[in-house]
Amino acid sequence: MAERAGWRDAAESELRAAGRHLAVPPARDVAATVRQRLEGPPARRRPGWRAALAVAAAFLAVLIATPQGRAAIVHVFRFAGVELRQEPGPVRTPASRAAQPGGAALPGERRMSLAQARHRVSFPILVPSALGPPAEVVVSDGGRVVSLIYPRTPYGPLRMDEFAGQPDQIYFEKIVHAGDVTPVTVNGTKGLWIKGPHELMYLTPDGSPTVAPPRLTTGNTLLWGTPRVALRLEGDVGQAAALAIADSAR
Amino acid sequence: MAFVLALTRVQREPHGGGRCITDGQVRRAIDDTEAVARARGGDLDAYAVLVTRYTLRAHRAAFLLGAGEEADDVVQEAFVKAFRHLSGFRTDEAFGPWLLRIVVNETRNLTRSRRRRAALALRVGNMDPGAAAGDIPVDEVLAAERRARLVAAVNALPDKERRVLVCRYFLELSEAETARVLAWPLGSVKSRTSRALNRLRGLLVPEQETRVPSG
Repeated sequence: MAERAGWRDAAESELRAAGRHLAVPPARDVAATVRQRLEGPPARRRPGWRAALAVAAAFLAVLIATPQGRAAIVHVFRFAGVELRQEPGPVRTPASRAAQPGGAALPGERRMSLAQARHRVSFPILVPSALGPPAEVVVSDGGRVVSLIYPRTPYGPLRMDEFAGQPDQIYFEKIVHAGDVTPVTVNGTKGLWIKGPHELMYLTPDGSPTVAPPRLTTGNTLLWGTPRVALRLEGDVGQAAALAIADSAR
Repeated sequence: MAFVLALTRVQREPHGGGRCITDGQVRRAIDDTEAVARARGGDLDAYAVLVTRYTLRAHRAAFLLGAGEEADDVVQEAFVKAFRHLSGFRTDEAFGPWLLRIVVNETRNLTRSRRRRAALALRVGNMDPGAAAGDIPVDEVLAAERRARLVAAVNALPDKERRVLVCRYFLELSEAETARVLAWPLGSVKSRTSRALNRLRGLLVPEQETRVPSG
């Protein structure tokens, strides 16, 4: 009987691991279509291109007609496990908040060696050879996120957060200024370069923000991913240097 | 890649949890409870936050439970239906499992109307499309083979047993969440999980090895 129970435990963890390697095609972004359908008459199943065009035109009109700052508009989209909400108007650094990489805590943070961390998480941990081994490795929320901390680099303190690639969950919510996001290429795949500080909030698996208040990031952020791991690099680093660091992550 | 998915308004509310004060202006992230409450009042901006947050999870569930290429359509339909049925959502429950139940129903409607086997065969993805074969360590190759065998065995299970394993281990839902999502009693989730795991054992472990050595 004990043998059978042992088999069950092993099977359960093997099944979970296999689940993370299943081939699932990328999901289409349905937010705009869902919204169109909810705004339109309920009987209509799918609006034709005329309707789509009309809605696009309406969005454009709103964008043009609305003065900056009065009725603020944000874009919501997701990229590599991060939900981004864009707002017009700059995010200013609050004087009261000590803004430094590694600022506000993630849930269940545990400091450990890189080797220990590699056993604790289900995805490969990438280390940028441009920076060398991190001074500190922090595993959070039961192995959901790994943070590599570099307190001293030529660019000042840097932080790299890593989480499972192609995630079906949103890990962070960022509130960024509309003009600050640029698509870039990292190792031949898509990445996002976010200039300037923005608010960053950690989301638990059920989608709710953690109790800790959102923290303000420092410097700039690069988001990118490989098939198995999604990464964000944060610190007072320029775009070219950030891309070089990202390219060296193995 | 289109970045603009939806337009929502900035929240400027006087007080509440999880907020960040910047320069006297209060900005808040919307949690699920608040987004649902506002969406119920007809706020499509708040609903766009939920759609963005749950699209990937809903898509993965639809795909793994048999929607195949039509998973995106199922997700779209589920979000539209969920919005129209928000009045039936109990504020003390989690939004995720409630939405996934609608996704499961939509997937079933689709597979029933197509009169085909509910689930398409699941398969393990390529390890690392960028890596040359020689770069992959042997233990990773062996682990990949083991996973492929396991997934093939899951594909061979009867429909209900496969569904419960997909929910419990591939979608990583708890027993209670699985019960909610599949609309089964909790006891059925437990018994079908046990039965499915036993059947997997039968499929994977050769007969002579399952015998307990005596003496």
